[in-house]
Amino acid sequence: MTLPNLSLADFLPLLPTIIMVVGASILLLSEVFLSTTASRSYQAVLTVATAVAAGAVALTTMFEPPQEVMLGFGVLDPFSSFLTFVVCVGLALATLSSVSFLRKRGAERGEFYALMLFATAGMSLLAMSNELITLFINIEVLSIATYALTSYLRRGTRPSEAGFKYFILGAFSSAVLLYGAALLYGATGTTHLTAMAGPLSTALSSQPGLVYAGIILVGAGFAFKVAAVPFHMWTPDVYEGAPTPVTALMSAGVKAAAFAAMVRVFFMVGKGVDPAMLLTLFSVLAFLTMVAGNLLAIPQRNVKRMLAYSSIAHAGYLLVGVAALFVTGPGEQFRLLGASALTGGTPLDLARAEALRGILYYLLAYTFSAVGAFAIVSVLERREDEEKGTAWDLERFSGLAQRKPGWAFAMAAFMLSLGGIPPTIGFMSKLLIFQAAVDAGLIGLTIVGVLSSAAGVYYYLRVVVYMFMRPVPEGAQALEKSWSTELALVLSTAAVVILGIIPGPIMGWLEQASSIFGQ
Amino acid sequence: MSFVDNHLLNLVVFLPLVFAALVALLPAGENGQIRTVTFIAMVLDLVFGVWAYMAYVPGGPEFQLEYRARWFDMFGTSYHIGVDGLAVSLLLLTVFLGPLVVLASTTYIKFRIKEFHLALLVLQTTMLGALVSLDVLLFYIFFEAMLIPMYLLVGVWGAEDRQMAAVKFFLYTLAGSLLMLVAIIAVYFISAPVGARSFDYASIYNGLLDANRQLSACTAGPAGACDSLTGLAATLHTWGPWLFGAFAIAFAVKVPMWPLHTWLPDAHVQAPVAGSMILAGVTLKMGTFGFWRYAIPFFPVATQQARPFLATLAVIGIVYGALMCLAQRDIKKLIAYSSVSHLGYCMLGILAITAEGATGSAYQMLNHGVSTGALFLLFGYLYERRHSRLMADYGGIAKVMPVFTAAFVIITFSSIAVPGTNGFIGEFLVLLGTFKSDLGEAAGNAHLTAVFGGFATLGVILGAAYMLWMVQKVFFGGITHRENQHLTDMNLREGLTVLPFIVLVAVMGLQPQPFLDRLAPSTDRFLARARVGTPGAALQEDRLRVEVMSLPPRQVVAAPSAPVPLAAAPAVPSPRQ
Repeated sequence: MTLPNLSLADFLPLLPTIIMVVGASILLLSEVFLSTTASRSYQAVLTVATAVAAGAVALTTMFEPPQEVMLGFGVLDPFSSFLTFVVCVGLALATLSSVSFLRKRGAERGEFYALMLFATAGMSLLAMSNELITLFINIEVLSIATYALTSYLRRGTRPSEAGFKYFILGAFSSAVLLYGAALLYGATGTTHLTAMAGPLSTALSSQPGLVYAGIILVGAGFAFKVAAVPFHMWTPDVYEGAPTPVTALMSAGVKAAAFAAMVRVFFMVGKGVDPAMLLTLFSVLAFLTMVAGNLLAIPQRNVKRMLAYSSIAHAGYLLVGVAALFVTGPGEQFRLLGASALTGGTPLDLARAEALRGILYYLLAYTFSAVGAFAIVSVLERREDEEKGTAWDLERFSGLAQRKPGWAFAMAAFMLSLGGIPPTIGFMSKLLIFQAAVDAGLIGLTIVGVLSSAAGVYYYLRVVVYMFMRPVPEGAQALEKSWSTELALVLSTAAVVILGIIPGPIMGWLEQASSIFGQ
Repeated sequence: MSFVDNHLLNLVVFLPLVFAALVALLPAGENGQIRTVTFIAMVLDLVFGVWAYMAYVPGGPEFQLEYRARWFDMFGTSYHIGVDGLAVSLLLLTVFLGPLVVLASTTYIKFRIKEFHLALLVLQTTMLGALVSLDVLLFYIFFEAMLIPMYLLVGVWGAEDRQMAAVKFFLYTLAGSLLMLVAIIAVYFISAPVGARSFDYASIYNGLLDANRQLSACTAGPAGACDSLTGLAATLHTWGPWLFGAFAIAFAVKVPMWPLHTWLPDAHVQAPVAGSMILAGVTLKMGTFGFWRYAIPFFPVATQQARPFLATLAVIGIVYGALMCLAQRDIKKLIAYSSVSHLGYCMLGILAITAEGATGSAYQMLNHGVSTGALFLLFGYLYERRHSRLMADYGGIAKVMPVFTAAFVIITFSSIAVPGTNGFIGEFLVLLGTFKSDLGEAAGNAHLTAVFGGFATLGVILGAAYMLWMVQKVFFGGITHRENQHLTDMNLREGLTVLPFIVLVAVMGLQPQPFLDRLAPSTDRFLARARVGTPGAALQEDRLRVEVMSLPPRQVVAAPSAPVPLAAAPAVPSPRQ
């Protein structure tokens, strides 16, 4: 067996990941030499600096043409670069909000930040994976880091419950995904996504059962990861039990990376099988996820759980975008509003490019809004209340506008953005997704999406009601200031409000990022 | 052209927002400063607004004072503003109410003064923005953004049940307008081929125009004639009614039309005086304005089909609102239900599609802003003194507050359309337009026109009855409650806020021509566009197409490396071979 010949140039596309891994290693190594009482402020600074550096490098690679890297096991395309940028943003904001959170609990250690970095490195690699085994390994890299992070605060029953649940179900879903990958390998004789399309259509005629089983199992595995209904059961418990900054990273980063991998896999698989089947699969998932996510969030009085269900609902909107990718040519019955009749040609390429952009923009918008919202949750909670389960009660938001007008404004902006009310980034991103879906002819799904997001506004608005329209509860303790959390809040509020009005360079990046490898 | 000429509307729209930033920087305790700065902002805005109103040339192009810039190209949208006659009139109404609302709230609002004034200023910007938008998506953004400050006004500074009222208001309006969003995306999508698509008002309207005319022509033919349509006309034939329905529901909630009006009494009753004034004065007009500007011109054929139904709802609204008023014991609720009734006239006038009806409806929109705004203002002053909304708690107020009573009675006359006041002109024209209209033919029986007109006239009579009955119970007779014996009459500030309303009632009642001049070009064009839906109607070709300025060219920015053009990329994923 000959060893593959790798030059330095092969590693350059992995630079963002390498930066994060190096940062994580420095954190781990330096932790060894610190006494328990030594100041650990540098750790968060280093993590943020690493995230910023990695994100900046990812932006420069965004203008490279799509190319295979590492002998075709991965690809570098604007799509993956943009996604790396998104997860780096999520990491930076989550780290900023975790400083005071950890300090209050006396749990500030290098391992925490190192694990965050490892998880993010895994997300970035997952977005680049172009081969099923690589993909699986990267899922494990990010998952194992997040399992550990979930139960990082060992005291009390909740973290261990959440960690255990997440571990068991995560491992189960990884296994399902791996099983599906194995079946696809069995049907096609390759694990490289690029090479899969041809053999897949041959196998479809000889062994349709094998191919369909493989696709459905892989789909189910991803549905677990992105928390799509009916594979969402673990989400509320895990999100509630995990340390809040970790929940923020999970809801934004893990979901983003899983979506990216799912899009890439089914993009390639879709070339070999009937896209109509994938359309049905994702439409059904999107429908269930949007409706159930929003309806289940309505009765929640626990804001952290509410945000967990809301993250399920948002996965549903994203799935609408994914479904729009698989709409096929004219004449199909699911094309309700015929565009081809007007134009004579197929406008679907445009719709697909729009859908890809929509997914990416939505992930960025969701990262800013959700990580910001979790940051507010984390500054309001107190450790003593966690066992009682009242740490995240809506009551804690009562009268926040009087106590901390800035925080209340920020939270209101996040809630309105999550609810998709203009002029916020949440509206713009939702518009882009729904526009793509309408362009693709998925009118029914769009209407369901719009109506369920109207239902969603109810529970987002309730938080605003508590903050602005309820009196400050008796005996409320003073809220402590923390510059790092404030910085995270200022950054994400500015992004949520300003990017909703002035797009800035993001639009240019997005236009670029809709070119995905293998188009 | 000077900077101000170019950016006059930008100035009018964003001046309050700039001052909002200034207010945000003031320390929270400095209530006097906050009020003064807000008041100055509103007065400046009024000056620029009047300037814009004067700068609008009635005989000129349809949209004037236009400004267009690139904005979110990727969505097919642009920042495009401009006004026609109706928009500039409603803009005048909005900036007119601005300073008065601030003055009216100086003693009414007692806590969180800074936030209150911030909300007022932001609300002003969003309302003005919705009026001047010439891009449908931009309009939608302002239309929705309007909800947030209004929601806070009702929910934070409102009366005892404010939270319920605020959430109900928000969700009702939001549910309607989200459906409209789907319809907006759909019309954007069908109105032009790939690459030419735009959310611009002109682009969508002109894109739909030819198909609308084909569709209209075939509806006059034998049954089934429309089945042979192709292309966009066929799409409009199938989907037009649904899309119109989505627009219509969104605007009907806002108007509000019976039976979607139930949020209004709650919101009005619970809102503080400023909230009620703005709600009644401006935001309700967004509904009628939306029908006028968007729903009807985009879908004239669907409008033609739905007219009898909508007119029926409008007439039910008129009579139902009036009957509800007769049953009220709560004064604020009475004024709120009177809005349902008055806005019914506005809708009926629009749906009549006659010159008189449309003019009367447009005028009535302005009148209602003045008279109902003033009624809420005056009642606000009474409420500040007595803290009761019940008629039974008053009686004989005229003896202790003669000036106040005089003002209230004058405004009441305007509200019940006594000749010589502004209300008379609007309501009279609407009734005339209704009797002259072909609403009956559209409904299948020519005699029904008289039925619509008859019920609307009944509403006028009932209107006089409930208002005068309320005035009599509250102001005349003996003083029945000891608490009322020592009520003080209006002070100078209060008098100054009421005076402009009374002046306007008289001026608009006796000298309507300057106002009507500016509405006329809009009513002409509205009628021409609405008549596209009437088969066989003579069309004024030169009034149909919307002419606007074109998008400024894209500024070329040197990209780090040449991006791959999207259109050149091959299709993904290709269907199975």
